[in-house]
Amino acid sequence: MDGPATASEVIASEASASVAPPLARVPLVLNKRNFDWVTNRISGAVENPTPRWWWVAFAITSAIATFGLTCIGYQISTGVGTWGLNSPVGWAWDITNFVFWIGIGHAGTLISAILFLLRQKWRTSINRSAEAMTLFAVICAAIFPGIHVGRVWMAWFLAPVPNQYAIWPNFRSPLLWDVFAVSTYFSVSVLFWYTGLIPDLGTLRDRATSKIKKFFYGIFALGWRGSNRHWRHYEMAYLLLAGLSTPLVLSVHSVVSFDFATSVIPTWHTTIFPPYFVAGAIFGGFAMVLTLMIPARAIFKLQDIITPQHIDKMAKIILLTGSIVAYAYAMEFFIAWYSGNQYEKFAFYNRIFGPYWWYWWVGMLFCNTLSPQLFWFRWCRRNIFVVYFVCMCVNAGMWFERFIIIVGGLHRDFLPSSWGLFTPTWVDIWTFIGTFGIFLSLFLLFIRFAPMIAMSEVKIVLPEADPHYVPPEEHHPVTAGGKERT
Amino acid sequence: MSDRSHVLPAPEGEYFENTRFAGLSILCGLIGLVGLVLSFIGAYRSPVQFSYSWLFGFFFFFTLCIGCLFWTIVHHVVDAEWSVVVRRQLENIALLLPVLGVLFLPIWFWRAYLYRWMDVPRGVDPLLDAKRGYLNWEFFLFRAVFFFVVLTVLAYLLRRFSVRQDHDGNPQFTIWMRKAAFVGLPLFALCLTFGAFDWVMSLNWHWFSTMWGPYIFAGTAGSSMALLILVTAALQRAGYLKDVVTIEHYHIMGKWLLAFTVFWAYIGFSQYMLYWYADIPEETQYYIVRNTESWNVLSWFLVIGRFFVPFAILLWRATKKNLTWLCTLAGWIVCMQLLDVYVIVLPALHGTGVHLSILDFLPLIGIGGTLAFFYLRIVGQTSLFPVRDPRLIESLRLTN
Repeated sequence: MDGPATASEVIASEASASVAPPLARVPLVLNKRNFDWVTNRISGAVENPTPRWWWVAFAITSAIATFGLTCIGYQISTGVGTWGLNSPVGWAWDITNFVFWIGIGHAGTLISAILFLLRQKWRTSINRSAEAMTLFAVICAAIFPGIHVGRVWMAWFLAPVPNQYAIWPNFRSPLLWDVFAVSTYFSVSVLFWYTGLIPDLGTLRDRATSKIKKFFYGIFALGWRGSNRHWRHYEMAYLLLAGLSTPLVLSVHSVVSFDFATSVIPTWHTTIFPPYFVAGAIFGGFAMVLTLMIPARAIFKLQDIITPQHIDKMAKIILLTGSIVAYAYAMEFFIAWYSGNQYEKFAFYNRIFGPYWWYWWVGMLFCNTLSPQLFWFRWCRRNIFVVYFVCMCVNAGMWFERFIIIVGGLHRDFLPSSWGLFTPTWVDIWTFIGTFGIFLSLFLLFIRFAPMIAMSEVKIVLPEADPHYVPPEEHHPVTAGGKERT
Repeated sequence: MSDRSHVLPAPEGEYFENTRFAGLSILCGLIGLVGLVLSFIGAYRSPVQFSYSWLFGFFFFFTLCIGCLFWTIVHHVVDAEWSVVVRRQLENIALLLPVLGVLFLPIWFWRAYLYRWMDVPRGVDPLLDAKRGYLNWEFFLFRAVFFFVVLTVLAYLLRRFSVRQDHDGNPQFTIWMRKAAFVGLPLFALCLTFGAFDWVMSLNWHWFSTMWGPYIFAGTAGSSMALLILVTAALQRAGYLKDVVTIEHYHIMGKWLLAFTVFWAYIGFSQYMLYWYADIPEETQYYIVRNTESWNVLSWFLVIGRFFVPFAILLWRATKKNLTWLCTLAGWIVCMQLLDVYVIVLPALHGTGVHLSILDFLPLIGIGGTLAFFYLRIVGQTSLFPVRDPRLIESLRLTN
């Protein structure tokens, strides 16, 4: 068969077998940036004086957030009547916003956990900020189930309180499962995010110039010294958390889909909902990651770390998940017709031609189904404007999709005399806009106080991180590499 | 794995010696032939039982073969490295799809027993009348032909390009295979979903589930990965691929086995739970049959055997890196796929309980033997791995 080859033969055959240009792997960090550059560039975003644009942006987003919180306060003090809810539409923007935000909170953990388990090294450039975004999105999402119950001071009824309190939580209610699923997801995501941050916090601590910074980064770095032992524990913890997070990526949005699918409402009750919602969540989540990362990479000049290759790959994931969502739409329509059930048939006919027709045509058809199909073409994936356009379409389309599912399922009651439409009030609208304020404010705070890219992980994918690496021309000072890892 | 980088396979590749295994090939062909002949004798005596048993055997092997096509497509779509060394076997098994296309003919000839909706006149069943635009024999036949033509063209093209690359190592073939795979992925989804609707879901034309496609897909992907493990291990046992496929490759295949074990349970649970929860008679009818009488035992066995057992074992890294364990598990999962298809197909005939017939085994043996015979013909035609694939070196050097 194949006899043992000598070393020179191996090298010769490898050279002849080296990958030809069209298939050669492009480095994940461009322009041969070294450890030193990575540390300085990423830490610089935190250490440099706060730029003026940041203050302007933060002033705007925090003002919006404050107004949104005021709306929530007004809604709590006055009652759910401040929203446009009425019979038959008893769920509208509140749950739409909840599902919208919780969906956005999926990309981060997918990138950090599933792509980690799949050994997708390109994830290192985007995982940190995507995870942070996940947490902020889940915070925004968690607001809505809390306040939509009306009497928020009774929201604790959802918690698994002991039975001697005689609250008797209904464990068969998907809303209760939601509380479990979302809180588990949030806790594990926080842990995962924080674990990944520890080596980088250590770097920031070591570089800190003021005592206060050194103190606080020091506390949060948990005494990280970058020793072999620390790295070993860190990597094992990271792997375990990735393993734990992976089922959570699937479970959270599956449970959210159960809120609808366990009912008997036409368009809500269908078996494909769990994977369809998960695919939709990843779809919307990746669009939001790109929405934030494309400007961030330009502002902080991170084009060598978040390269066109990264955007290309994320666009492909958007194409894949968008096509899965389109498949689910098609299945829903087909089975509604195939079932012969007149209520299902009517509900889906109504989705396309009913009073909310344009939500379907614009949101579901154009934004979610057609616009990502542009990503079949390399030119579109490599053109930042096309990518941004599609991401914006997806952001909007996924909100519309949830609205169509929720309100579309309710506004045409089984009894035509009960039919009615939903009109949002200013409180509805501003509460939703307010969550964008909260989300963006938290994100702005994040990029000021924590490294927005996982420095230590990016360094691991640099060629120099390979112990057998031989620089092509001359040696870079090795000390830079050795030191920066701490 | 550092020692492995010193061993590179010979550039001319490795070839399966047809002459060495001529006996096995003839044996498989004979078993297949005898199985087929006995099946058709059974068809003469009990056409109803035969038709369902044949569908059971056919659909089981269909999921395995189309699953291998799926993994080939995925390999190209994501530009994978690790699977280069095992890809040729995926291509070989996927090339059995046209053979299955011929073996579909008995379903067509005995369709009156399987798909009774073909014989229901208009006006009798309003639910059927509502879906006659889809469920009519002309369209059914057209779809079956379409599925097999599309799948055959895909399987053929992907293997053809791959084999041609063995000769000249032209990277352009990789690009072409990738393009074919991009086009093939949605076509695969279409064929598998509607094939599953047509051939098994429409056995009870009153029942429906939007999850049916993903459910069949979950079993398909997992069991075909199990088959790949078994085929690769068998080839290694015969003395091939010794320095090509390592335990690292098996480890990855084991991970996919675990992933699709969980995915199958996730999809199966979601479908079951949502129908249980809503409790609408037209939807629960599928599960009521399978949860009563002796079918209930098989259903429970499926849940435990297809999910809990392999999940608990495959979760450990040590078992995924132990060839004996992994092959045992892979064999078990293929058996569970067999059981899954059995519980899907046969209750449509024996609604009151399991009614095992000798005919359930004959088509299985006949189709299996025939496919094994053709596989042994195909496998010797080319090198056992894509010897000039541009990513071969990376695949050989795989570490987890």
